[in-house]
Amino acid sequence: MRPRWRKVLLDLFENPTRTLLVVFSIAVGVFSIGVIAGAYVIIENDMSASYAANRPANIELRMDDFDRDFLPVIENAPQIAEVEPRRVFNIRARAANSQAWTTLDIVAIEDFDENQLNLLTPLQGQPKPARREVVIEREVLKDIDIRVGEDLVFQLPDGSEKTLKVVGIVQDPTTGADDFLAPPFAYITMDTLPTLRQPDLFNRIYATVEGNGNDPEYIRRVTADLKDRVEKNGVAVRRTRSALTNQHPLASTVNAILGILLALGVLIVFLSSSLIANTLAALLNQHLRHIGVMKLVGGRDRQVFAMYLVMILSFGLLALALAVPFGGIGAYALAEFIASQLSFNLLGYRIVPLAFIIQIAVGILVPLIAGFGPVINGSRISVLNAISGELANETGGASSPGAKRETLFERFENAVNTALLRRGIHLPRPLLISLRNTFRRKRRLALTLFTLTMGGAIFVGVFNVRTTLFAYMDNVGRYFVADVTLDFSRPYRLSEIEQVARQVPGVEYVEGWAFASAEILYPDGTVAENLVVLAPPANSRLVDAQPVAGRWVQAGDTKAIAITEGILRSFPNLKPGDYLDVKVRGQQDRWLVVGLFKFIDREGLIAYGTYEYFSRETNLANRSVSFRVVTDRHDEAYQRAMSEKLDKHFREAGYQISQARPGLSALNNATESLDILVIFLLIMALLTAIVGAMGLTGTMGMNVLERTREIGIMRAIGAVDSEIMRMVIVEGMVIGLISWVLGLFLSIPITYGLSLIVSLAVFETPIDVVFTPLGYLIWLGLVILLSVLASVLPARNAARLTIREVLAYE
Amino acid sequence: MLSSAHPSTLPLIELRNVVKTYLSEAGEFTALKGINLQIYPGEFLGIIGKSGAGKSTLLNMITGVDHLTQGEVIARIGSQPTSVHTLNENDLALWRGRSMGIVYQSFQLLPMLTLLENVMLPMDLCGLYHPRESRRRALELLEMVEIAEHANKLPAFISGGQQQRVAIARALANDPPVLVADEPTGSLDSVTADHIFELFERLVAQGKTIIMVTHEMALMPRFSRHILIQDGELIVSPAATLTKN
Repeated sequence: MRPRWRKVLLDLFENPTRTLLVVFSIAVGVFSIGVIAGAYVIIENDMSASYAANRPANIELRMDDFDRDFLPVIENAPQIAEVEPRRVFNIRARAANSQAWTTLDIVAIEDFDENQLNLLTPLQGQPKPARREVVIEREVLKDIDIRVGEDLVFQLPDGSEKTLKVVGIVQDPTTGADDFLAPPFAYITMDTLPTLRQPDLFNRIYATVEGNGNDPEYIRRVTADLKDRVEKNGVAVRRTRSALTNQHPLASTVNAILGILLALGVLIVFLSSSLIANTLAALLNQHLRHIGVMKLVGGRDRQVFAMYLVMILSFGLLALALAVPFGGIGAYALAEFIASQLSFNLLGYRIVPLAFIIQIAVGILVPLIAGFGPVINGSRISVLNAISGELANETGGASSPGAKRETLFERFENAVNTALLRRGIHLPRPLLISLRNTFRRKRRLALTLFTLTMGGAIFVGVFNVRTTLFAYMDNVGRYFVADVTLDFSRPYRLSEIEQVARQVPGVEYVEGWAFASAEILYPDGTVAENLVVLAPPANSRLVDAQPVAGRWVQAGDTKAIAITEGILRSFPNLKPGDYLDVKVRGQQDRWLVVGLFKFIDREGLIAYGTYEYFSRETNLANRSVSFRVVTDRHDEAYQRAMSEKLDKHFREAGYQISQARPGLSALNNATESLDILVIFLLIMALLTAIVGAMGLTGTMGMNVLERTREIGIMRAIGAVDSEIMRMVIVEGMVIGLISWVLGLFLSIPITYGLSLIVSLAVFETPIDVVFTPLGYLIWLGLVILLSVLASVLPARNAARLTIREVLAYE
Repeated sequence: MLSSAHPSTLPLIELRNVVKTYLSEAGEFTALKGINLQIYPGEFLGIIGKSGAGKSTLLNMITGVDHLTQGEVIARIGSQPTSVHTLNENDLALWRGRSMGIVYQSFQLLPMLTLLENVMLPMDLCGLYHPRESRRRALELLEMVEIAEHANKLPAFISGGQQQRVAIARALANDPPVLVADEPTGSLDSVTADHIFELFERLVAQGKTIIMVTHEMALMPRFSRHILIQDGELIVSPAATLTKN
């Protein structure tokens, strides 16, 4: 090997810490980009492929009960290809050896052999149950500890129990794919319905459209026509849903979240590139004498440039060797995690060529771009400057013996010092040295501060986003203040239920709510949105509403609603005082919008009306099927216990209760899903913080290395080991604290930006940002710790050197 | 103008009215004040002066390591005379690599390369020799400076005197006609320094031109010619024209 290339090779291993620092800083960026890009491609492809493979229905109609004779009405509808009727109802179930009830959605399918839509993927046992048998979706296993062959106990509305044998476990990637908060599913045949005291009737239709199953407009139109047709034939449609054949309903949400992670990944690459630039600048600085020697003996700019370029490429290749395999594994792990959360299957482990190419491009190009400046500066330096170490002098200029001018910082520091001295305050000399050292390498300091500040600001921003999301969920909880929700299979008088409920100790207050479902229509009469109207009494104590525009519903309101902001998707200019065309039970009507509020619109829109009006409209005046109960304590465990007590109490009293739910459970499920997102964001934030800390470690290492001679002089004139260490550590802490202060400010726009992107992806509406001191305090502790850790090693190395060694240092 | 030792031949290197001024916050400082000097082929020229006299600056003007403020440096090495002061850094590097070997007091060997590789480096960078040929030549040069048995050691594992021998071997790598040495014996003990000086004398005998800067007046008699420099000016002294023979 030629001497110059041998030099490049030996330089790589000359300082293993420095090499590892550069390699790791490139690798962190390559790894995060690889994980996210890989997961993105895998999910993008597999999510929809897995979804489409199970032949999802384009149309779902939730209807009143209908029998087999009604089916031709749907089957013969125009543009409808395949139709499958089902009965879906929810019921409480438990394992035979457990007393913990879980609500399941039971799907009764007429003929499993003829099943062509929303196909089930067999996982274990039989995928097709016989009479008095049940097949469960794998999600059930999260709530109920049960195995194939064991019995599942169901609680009937009258409180009696029936047992069905679990014969198989399946995966259902399509039914309820757009609602990951829905209860888990179990499947039975229609002839098992009587066992569970259900009528042998259908209440749901799944259908596909003829022609393009991936045209949302077309599907929406066919759905609206089908609904009209069904209602004209005398069966009410409670809710409609439409979905594309080849696109998972949550694909856009997942992609948006992956997009956020990708943006953070790019940021990490960006930060690591500043770290690379810093380290390479320092490396070139340390190699000035080498460059000088090479130029003395005939080396030209381009030869030196090529040598260091090859060195950077080697750093990149080493980083790729490290990051690409882990990136591939990480990508699949992330995709698998998301797939398990959203119940779809991946097509198997594979290398994603695009992610591979992106990783190689990032691993090669980023260090080249980041290192280009330092290398071009280093290679162009004159022999004289190189031999005299002039590049190290950032003030630039020719070799210039004589006094330098005082810098602005030095003047400021002198002024402060003099002012303190006048007041009799003496700053310790070592502290002053630490402070001065901090600002000696301004470019290096700027890059280090940039990296550490960005890392910190993102870290703090993620905490703020977490608080923002949870504050929003709390805000949503204001619309569900009740501790227990009681749903009955038939309406009961308000006073009667209140009286019975109060017999249970701990019950303080009971409210009956009315409900209505409607469709909001575009001016041309097509359906814009599905709407569920919740109608508590006008003076309800259980809704702590905070409308963002207009007012809340009040006593005396008729045909008036407060609606969620989600309506602005379809009617961007809607404001309080406007009217919406709606269709209720097949009848067209106009409702006044009195206010807008923020909510999570996952399954159609929500609106609030008054019980007084909507109960009359639904012929349930002074009666209700759904009651809200307030208890004397509000924690989830107590709510759960009270739900059980009330459920038992009403059943024993002969009431047809269908379910009693603790108030916080739905909210907590949603919060758990948000936690997963926040964990991902935190992992990315930690990666940025690690890159920042690596930057600081590198900087401190370089600073100490370059000051070896100074340290020797200080030791020669009496500085002990601890004094030297303290000076270096204080310098690191000063940098850390400056970055923390800068991070305070930078975290504000980052919090707003991240919150906006996340809230649009998750809630489809911008939400109010909430700041928390928690992230700032944790980051303060972390940045001090990281600064100390980053400085300890260089400080120890400095303190270990003997005076002879450091004074002989070249 | 100093020296009239070789009136019949053209000087190998000629400095005409060379001025070097440094600018600093403290003001201007003139390190060389109108130097005129001719250096002839085969000379062993000593530039002698105290610390800060301007001798290293003068050497930097000759090697092109630093740029002059005023004047000319003409080198007649190779087929065409070269105006050193007009070359850019890249051309200077190549010209220097082929025409001039430089030896410093601090040896300036690359610590990560073996002695053999250090000697091969100029040949690699200037491309005058095939890699295999350059290895053979480097070994020959190390033999010449009596250090071939350590060829595969790193600089850190040999003594200062040995390192200076390697630096001389490296300076000779591209077979330049001129060797420039800046205090080459400054960090060596007297016995080792004497050995290095003997090596220079052998090289001069072989036809090399050597320009050596030193502050040691005692070495004066050993040069074929010497000049004294003080405060950036050459001092006319009787000894200046002496030629050792």
